Amino acid sequence: MGYSFQFGVIEANLDKFLQGLVLGLALAFAAIFIGTLIGLLCAFATMAKAQTPSRLVGIYVSAIRNTPLLVIILFVYFALPQLGIRLGKHESFVFSLAIYAGAYLTEVFRSGLAGVPRGVIDAGRAIGLTGFQLALCVISPIMWRNCLPALGTTFISLFKDTSLAAVIAIPELTYQARKLNTETFRVAEAWATASVLYLATCLLIAAGLRQLERRFPKF
Amino acid sequence: MNKQKFTLLAGLCATALVTGFGNAALAQDKLEQILQRGKLIVGTGVGNPPWHFRDEKGDMAGFDVDVAKIVAKGLFGDDTKIEYVNQASDARIPNIVTDKVDITCQFMTVTAERAQQVNFTIPYYREGVGLMMAAGGKYKSRDEMKAAGAAVTVSVLQNVYAEEMVHYALPEAKVDQYESVDLMYQALNSGRADAAATDMSSLQWFMKQNPGKYVDGGYGWNPQTYSCAVKRGEQDYLNFVNIAFREALTGVEFATYSKSFEMWFGVKPPEPKVGFPEELR
Repeated sequence: MGYSFQFGVIEANLDKFLQGLVLGLALAFAAIFIGTLIGLLCAFATMAKAQTPSRLVGIYVSAIRNTPLLVIILFVYFALPQLGIRLGKHESFVFSLAIYAGAYLTEVFRSGLAGVPRGVIDAGRAIGLTGFQLALCVISPIMWRNCLPALGTTFISLFKDTSLAAVIAIPELTYQARKLNTETFRVAEAWATASVLYLATCLLIAAGLRQLERRFPKF
Repeated sequence: MNKQKFTLLAGLCATALVTGFGNAALAQDKLEQILQRGKLIVGTGVGNPPWHFRDEKGDMAGFDVDVAKIVAKGLFGDDTKIEYVNQASDARIPNIVTDKVDITCQFMTVTAERAQQVNFTIPYYREGVGLMMAAGGKYKSRDEMKAAGAAVTVSVLQNVYAEEMVHYALPEAKVDQYESVDLMYQALNSGRADAAATDMSSLQWFMKQNPGKYVDGGYGWNPQTYSCAVKRGEQDYLNFVNIAFREALTGVEFATYSKSFEMWFGVKPPEPKVGFPEELR
């Protein structure tokens, strides 16, 4: 192995790496927030008695889940402007990741809903709760409890997906690592640093979510 | 030893000496060697249009190839008498030094450092960075973009000093670095970037492939000179190649050079002025 490590160049550019990491986190946060709203809406829509919402959600989920995220990102960034829909660079990425997140989160929430015991719902009805009260006070807490572990996995996976923003020239962590790589040819150092930063961040998010799981009221 | 025998021996020695020297002289003179061989061995690459690539028929084509053909035509009166050696960029100098090729024509940038290892011919092209905009777009020229300042986004191929390169021409422009050439052009097509900045020859070739869709920014910078290279210490041969190129750029073969230039870059090179040879002024 004729490669000698030189981390000096990483040290000199550490601020850029951290800026990239923060930008990635911000993008992930925005996309996950919107994605969660989409997911909740879609998951509850499948509970409706009517068939149409369920079918529409089914189409959305299978369309998005069977398309690579990179393709969605490139489509929204490059193709939509030609069709007359122009989002800013960051907005277009958040939009892409949000609809992608929405599809996965719909499935997560649906599985959480499926785990709500029939008897609890019937009991809620029996004491005269309205549909909305039932959803908010009885079904939701149990659903959240049920899907917390799966949510954690999905959130972490979505955060890692922000690395794809590098393709459309958004200066997040992967972009910064690639840039430093082409500028200095310190290939091992650049990617090792990016990996460690991703790993550390994901472990922190996972630990946080585990804490949340532990403190979440049990039923 | 009788006189007859001595004469014979002396004669043999003399013959050996003469033919020996003759062979040595022959081996030393590259020009003579190539003429006797009857073909020119040219080192170049494949897969870099418009410089050197295989066309639809599988034949070598491109501006570098046409430049090599000028030399072959000068040598044999026939520009097909070439054997191409496909070489990577990093083999350009070694293949000359080890006599694997007679000449390398492969968009080779002339630097003083390289001139210590090989002899460069006179230049046949000057590369630079140019700006390309979509036809009918917001900006028509570099001056308009410069005036617009930070409102302008330029797409470039990710590279060392990519930002400095763009900021030399457009000091305040935003620079979006993409990892491949097609993404860089896509950014321009989708309006994500107001201009693309890359090698002038690539831009000209791209504009020629897509007529009417793009406009040239009318500004080039970051000059680098392209020359062919031959082995050091072959001054006669170098002189010959230089004469062949000079007459292609300014003399009897100008029509050939001009036709090729227009074919690959979509524009005609300036005509040499008749009368006083300007290059001597």
